[in-house]
Amino acid sequence: MTAQTHDGAHLAAPRDIDGLRSRALIAGVVGLVGCGLGFVFDRDHFFRSWLIAYLLVLGIALGSMALLMIQHLSGGAWGVFRRVFEASSRTLPLLALMFLPIVLGMGTLYSWTHAEHVAADAILQHKAPYLNVPFFLIRALIYFAGWIGIAWTMSRWSRRQDEGDMSVNKRLQYLAGGGLVFYALASTFAGIDWIMSINPHWFSTLFGFIMVAGHGLSALSFTIVVSTFLSRRAPMENILKPSHFHDLGKLSLAFVMLWAYFNFSQYMLVYAANLAEEIPYFITRISHGWQYVALFLVVFQFIVPFLLLLSRDLKRMPHRLIWVSFALLAVRYIDLFLLVSPEFASTGANLHMVTGAHESHFYVHWLDLAAPLAVGGLWLWMFFTQLAQRPLVAFADPYLREAMESTGGH
Amino acid sequence: MAPPEQPHQGRVTPPVIAPGHTFRSVTDKIGGIVLTKRTPIGWFVGFGIGFIFLLVLNVTIGNLLVTGIGIWGNNVPVGWAFDIINFVWWIGIGHAGTLISAILLLFRQQWRTSINRFAEAMTLFAVACAAMFPLLHTGRPWLAAYWLFPYPNTMGLWPQFRSPLIWDVFAVSTYGTVSLLFWFTGLVPDLATLRDRAQSKGVRRIFGVLSLGWRGSARHWHRYEMAYLLLAGISTPLVLSVHSVVSFDFAVSNLPGWHATVFPPYFVAGAIYSGFAMVMTLAIPLRKFYHLEDFITMRHIHNMTKVMLVTGMIVAYGYANEAFFAWYSANPYEAFMMSNRMTGPYALFYWTLIAINAVMIQLFWFRKVRDNIVLLFVLSLLVNVGMWLERFVIIVTSLHRDFLPSSWDMYAPTRWDFAMFTGTIGLFLSLFFLFIRFLPALAMFEMRTIVPEAKMEHEHRG
Repeated sequence: MTAQTHDGAHLAAPRDIDGLRSRALIAGVVGLVGCGLGFVFDRDHFFRSWLIAYLLVLGIALGSMALLMIQHLSGGAWGVFRRVFEASSRTLPLLALMFLPIVLGMGTLYSWTHAEHVAADAILQHKAPYLNVPFFLIRALIYFAGWIGIAWTMSRWSRRQDEGDMSVNKRLQYLAGGGLVFYALASTFAGIDWIMSINPHWFSTLFGFIMVAGHGLSALSFTIVVSTFLSRRAPMENILKPSHFHDLGKLSLAFVMLWAYFNFSQYMLVYAANLAEEIPYFITRISHGWQYVALFLVVFQFIVPFLLLLSRDLKRMPHRLIWVSFALLAVRYIDLFLLVSPEFASTGANLHMVTGAHESHFYVHWLDLAAPLAVGGLWLWMFFTQLAQRPLVAFADPYLREAMESTGGH
Repeated sequence: MAPPEQPHQGRVTPPVIAPGHTFRSVTDKIGGIVLTKRTPIGWFVGFGIGFIFLLVLNVTIGNLLVTGIGIWGNNVPVGWAFDIINFVWWIGIGHAGTLISAILLLFRQQWRTSINRFAEAMTLFAVACAAMFPLLHTGRPWLAAYWLFPYPNTMGLWPQFRSPLIWDVFAVSTYGTVSLLFWFTGLVPDLATLRDRAQSKGVRRIFGVLSLGWRGSARHWHRYEMAYLLLAGISTPLVLSVHSVVSFDFAVSNLPGWHATVFPPYFVAGAIYSGFAMVMTLAIPLRKFYHLEDFITMRHIHNMTKVMLVTGMIVAYGYANEAFFAWYSANPYEAFMMSNRMTGPYALFYWTLIAINAVMIQLFWFRKVRDNIVLLFVLSLLVNVGMWLERFVIIVTSLHRDFLPSSWDMYAPTRWDFAMFTGTIGLFLSLFFLFIRFLPALAMFEMRTIVPEAKMEHEHRG
């Protein structure tokens, strides 16, 4: 294990990755067939389920890209995970493609796309300069252009770094600085566009932070899962140490706490102020069965992972940590489910202020299981394809020595 | 002797301690500031200035207690003004200390070592200054405990637990207590060093009592490190919680400009931002005056600037967010609040704070700026001004024109408002000067772990 060797051949991905790739592809295709059936027989539900699943994998990719940029800026001991982050962020072109169903489904997802609906609603008329179809599409184009541009450039310079060109180090830092600013702004507005505007009356200024915390949490959990797999095989078995998992575990703990902090703040402040324009969002989610989903999240996206991740031993044992991370990814999906689905519980119009409360009961649709299979499978296939293309360690990273020597602490 | 850190390829990172230092030179240099018999004349000048303003504070408090809080300018509709502005400003400043001592310790950031001690002291003094405002705002501070703390009483009277003001009492008092414990715990080994090096019997006795019988045995160190880590763990949530609770004071209300869900993280970022600005404001003259450039190196200055850039960007994001949602909410009162901030009678304050906190901080992106000590000193002072203005704008512009135009009015502080504010700056400066004269302003024992000598024996701490 010599990090200084200027050739990544011995750091190639293990062969098992091909097996994972094909399995992911099969799962994706099976899911796609399900989604195809859904598209034909229950189009409205298909779009909703697709949106939820899509947001989960998008969060992993964007969170990984943000962590990668932070790593370029701050150095630090998680440089050994750089290639996982890079592979995740290189999936963004596929994610842009997978956004197309959402564009197709705008009419059923977003009530503000209907002119007659807007005409009857003074608030929506006020928001029309922002919430209109052309501008929505232009914004989506800007987000994806920016994200893909950043990911692609970082990936290119990373390859040049592998080839021994140290002049990119500085440029990577500059790009990361500007890139983080773009990431934060684009993620905020994407959150407003794709999630918040499902209920176009509702708003919360904290929403961008909640998006970013979700991205970070899903990206860290995913990275732990993948790295645990890699750590059992050559070449990473000698490189990834308990201390590296310890660091990711600590960051996961921090993001679990941040997620809870943001969500608690939002809930408490809206609850205490009890204003007509804000409170319906939470009334929807604390009644008609949805409250159990919300409570489930309190317990399983905060209390249980928080208590588990406090343990130093657990964080240093990848074979145990991986289960917490798996669970966190699953819970992330439920979190996104709760962000999206209750708004559609009242059939037809999602404005629960208008329709009767009796139609708002909790439901899970079979497409909510098929869509994650399709989106997740295809995305994983892309991820593993990307991961296998480069040496698994960014061996020319200027911080790598520090990262490999890290013993972890506390 | 070789420099302690190899610069990375393609970049030169300044070291956390200048080359050539040994255990002895570190102890001599830092301990010498305290144990010398000759107090530098500049110290007297600085302390004297602080002390004069402290006297102003005493006069103000005297007048306040005799006359009542009517000497302040706040009145309906602006019932909260300088008292809360200054409270939030000081509490915010305190945050850098806790962040440096607790979070950077947990993240094993070695560069915290030479700035943690005086940043923690700064936290304590800032909390002391902050606490004066709500206490004196009660008008009868000797009754404040009776009003603020819930205690079982025969009348069955309790404070309103649903009010964030009561949460504030707990948050701030917890914060003060934990910060004090953390600071004192960190001091113990250094106090023992001073005890052992003191020349006069009286000094030795004082440091002897304060060092709690520290002998530096392996067992002492083992337990000490454990205790220090635990305290760091306890302090970490406080960095977020205290200013979040302060933000709740505003955000639970229904007032446009106060009720925003983004307030907690946005206030916390602002607190850390202003706190680092204050650490910078103090560190730059300190290192110059006591020739501590070897210990508070350009690495520290760079890193502090970067923390200010990150947190300042979050604050700027908060401003943009508020402006966007004032429109997006489609709520006419929100929209009015924003236009009143931008074009109303206090617009100058709003645009000044935007110029500082959103525009000026972009300078921190540039290495040339981060290398320019004089400029950084000026900029850090400006950040303190900008963050004070931010609180002024949030508090006053939201109150002075609320839902009912018939109750609109302007707010202007009186001379006693200014006397109270500058007085607390005097208190802060006086305490800080006393601290650097009588206690080691940098953690000697921690500095000794980062000299090259320490690396030979044990590579890693913690």
